[in-house]
Amino acid sequence: MPDLEERLDAIYENILDYEAKQVAELVKSEVEAGTDLQIILDDALIAAMDEVGDLFSEGVLFVPEMLMAANAMKAGMEILRPLLTDSDIPSAGKVVIGTVHRDIHDIGKNLVGMMLEGGGFEVIDLGVNVAPDEFVEAAAKHSPDIIGMSALLTTTMPNMPKTIDALHKANFEGKIIIGGAPVTLEFAETIGSDAYAPDASAAVVLARGMLTNG
Amino acid sequence: MVSDMRRSRRERKIGDKANKSPQTQPVKGSSFSLPPTLGAPGFAFLDNTRIDQLRERTFSLLEEHGVFIDHEEAVKTLKKAGARISNDGKRIHFPRFLVEQVIEDTPKSVTLCGKTEEWDHALPDPEGRFIMRTGTGAHGFIDGETGNYRKLKMTDVATIAAVGNHLDQIGFISHPFVNGVPERTSDIHGFAELVTLTPKHVWIQPYETENVEYLMRICALAAGGESALRKRPIASCIATSFTPLELKQMDVEAIIQASSYGLAIHACSLPTAGGTAPITMPGTVVLAAAEILSMLIVTQIVGSGTAVIATPLIFALDMRTGRSLQSSIEVMQGVSMSLQLMKQGFGLLTHTYGSGSDTPDVDSQSNAERSLLGQLVALSGADILGGVGQLECATVFSPVQAIIDNEIGQMLQSFLRTPDMDDESFAWDLLKEIPQGGNFLANQHTLKHCRATLDPQVFLRQARDTYEAENRRNVQEHARDIFRSILKKDPLANLPDEATIREIKKVVKAGDAKILD
Ligand code: B12
Repeated sequence: MPDLEERLDAIYENILDYEAKQVAELVKSEVEAGTDLQIILDDALIAAMDEVGDLFSEGVLFVPEMLMAANAMKAGMEILRPLLTDSDIPSAGKVVIGTVHRDIHDIGKNLVGMMLEGGGFEVIDLGVNVAPDEFVEAAAKHSPDIIGMSALLTTTMPNMPKTIDALHKANFEGKIIIGGAPVTLEFAETIGSDAYAPDASAAVVLARGMLTNG
Repeated sequence: MVSDMRRSRRERKIGDKANKSPQTQPVKGSSFSLPPTLGAPGFAFLDNTRIDQLRERTFSLLEEHGVFIDHEEAVKTLKKAGARISNDGKRIHFPRFLVEQVIEDTPKSVTLCGKTEEWDHALPDPEGRFIMRTGTGAHGFIDGETGNYRKLKMTDVATIAAVGNHLDQIGFISHPFVNGVPERTSDIHGFAELVTLTPKHVWIQPYETENVEYLMRICALAAGGESALRKRPIASCIATSFTPLELKQMDVEAIIQASSYGLAIHACSLPTAGGTAPITMPGTVVLAAAEILSMLIVTQIVGSGTAVIATPLIFALDMRTGRSLQSSIEVMQGVSMSLQLMKQGFGLLTHTYGSGSDTPDVDSQSNAERSLLGQLVALSGADILGGVGQLECATVFSPVQAIIDNEIGQMLQSFLRTPDMDDESFAWDLLKEIPQGGNFLANQHTLKHCRATLDPQVFLRQARDTYEAENRRNVQEHARDIFRSILKKDPLANLPDEATIREIKKVVKAGDAKILD
């Protein structure tokens, strides 16, 4: 049997090769071999995703590659999750995301959500056409660190400040980020959101930066 | 800038030439057997075998997987007509016989009417030409004078109308997104303004189901009443599917209402390759085709059978950033394939972006992308080239870019005029007599044809010294000169009168009152 280092490397490499099934199997046999769960987590799964994140930010990896690596990492996590206590489960943070009221454009929102998941965030996707009240309810239910809103229509952009108002009234204390083709930095600033990102890769960097910088 | 006198002379001459050159007829609508040779004008990206493959896949996608339709009445009517409904009651499978029948029954020609006949456009164009249309939905504007970006406001609608009115390639005009009015009724405000400022045909793009009714009422007023509108539909309307393979309530409603007024439908699918559609273009093309045909069926069976213009607007996700693209080279392939499939495979009228770019400004990339795209689309035989003036993936409009696009359009039209092959075009007598050291400069034949060459107003051909002496003025500055001269021109005739404008304003107010409540 190869030594631990080599076995952890194999998990790491399989994540970088998007081999979800392999990752699951390797993690399973590692658990069976009695390896410390925290070591599997930190030195294989998280280490691989950090590398993936860096490669993506540097423009080496493309969107689907990042997403597939995230899937492979998730397959490993599924094995560990039942064995870990809640506090041991790593999360870069919790994000609630949705497309605002009367807007059904979803692909940008989906992509941002998936990329954030890939970046280690727990993501709760509320779908499209999400009314301010529904954002408020989700904020109460999930206590996210970040709420992300997407709007693709100039007609639905005003639903962003409306939602922000509603969230503030409900004393939501997390960060609020927004995006979508017609959304600009200027708009983000005038409506009192915390930040804006022009695309999904920027969104991951943004979200990570927000939580590490407080 | 060249004087108007010289310009009109050039136009007259080019016009004469155009009338003389025989044009190959666009392929007419046999939907089930391919024409023996590819149709005019001749760019055959795909051979007949490949077009057949795309067509077969489209039929089987419609039959085996079907389309989800969120409209109870429509589903009932489709069922009666022979569509199969799957268990959940909303996924509609279209048997091949039904699709074929509907394609056969669909009108294969339409006249997009202006407010007077002078502005009418019969499609397919009898001479094999295309018409262009201004970009729609832009919320950003590159100011024609300063070149700076800003939000598009109501007064810009007048600028777009003026530019659209005076550019000869623009067959019809669409309304942008107007800031500074209530957002939810912005389409109504923008359309109401546009329709009073142009005698040309206009395009309706509703933003919400409940807005459709007001847009139609405004349209009827501008046309001189409902029956006048039915007789001469001065507008046509877009309906978009919800990719992948879904028709939403609003679009079925837009089809029903618009076709009840006799307006042609631009049945539009906007797949995003790698996002809502397969990243490989044949899959995206077939997906778009299935959606367009499902809208065609809804129009023919649920609507009242008006003309349908197949409008595949193909997008792709940038794999590095996840941004939406309208002018990547893969998109251009997809568009070329879609046009061939729609035109040659199904015999339908076609409309797509023939202009537009993914860059935010009127720069070199913009002009390269739109020239490439325009060529492929025009050569693939599209009837309508949209996206004039459009930047940043269909979110920004630039009037200066629109003026450059118009000239690119003129070039494409000139290119499409397949040359005659006769003694006159071979200059046969001259060729046979040309002595050693001879030339063709000053002879009757050159004189006769010299004004049939395109004399650009925007593109430059200066010598370096002139270029330097003029402080390196470029195409953009020339286009800006033309822009300024257009703004000084008198409005065109036959616009709605004061009383009609008052009525239109009342409808806008009524729309606000009802919808904003
Ligand atoms: C595809 C598309 C559609 C599809 C959507 C399919 C789907 N499943 O989502 C369909 C056909 C359904 C559609 C419908 C309509 N559309 Co549309 N659509 C588009 C198009 C072409 C691309 C949008 C897209 O999918 N982009 C790809 C994704 C990946 O990009 P993205 O959404 O911008 O997201 C990226 C960033 O913005 C950012 N981001 C996005 N969200 C978030 C959120 C956060 C928190 C962060 C940090 C970042 C972020 O990251 C994303 C990934 O990189 C745009 C044009 C454009 N350039 O955007 C028009 C466009 C947005 N649509 C438009 C219009 C008008 C409509 C309709 C009203 C048309 C009609 N009459 O049917 C309807 C409205 C329906 C409704 N009520 O919502 C207009 C809007 C004009 C305006 N200024 O308001 C546009 C600009 C096109 C145009 N010029 O007319 N549309």
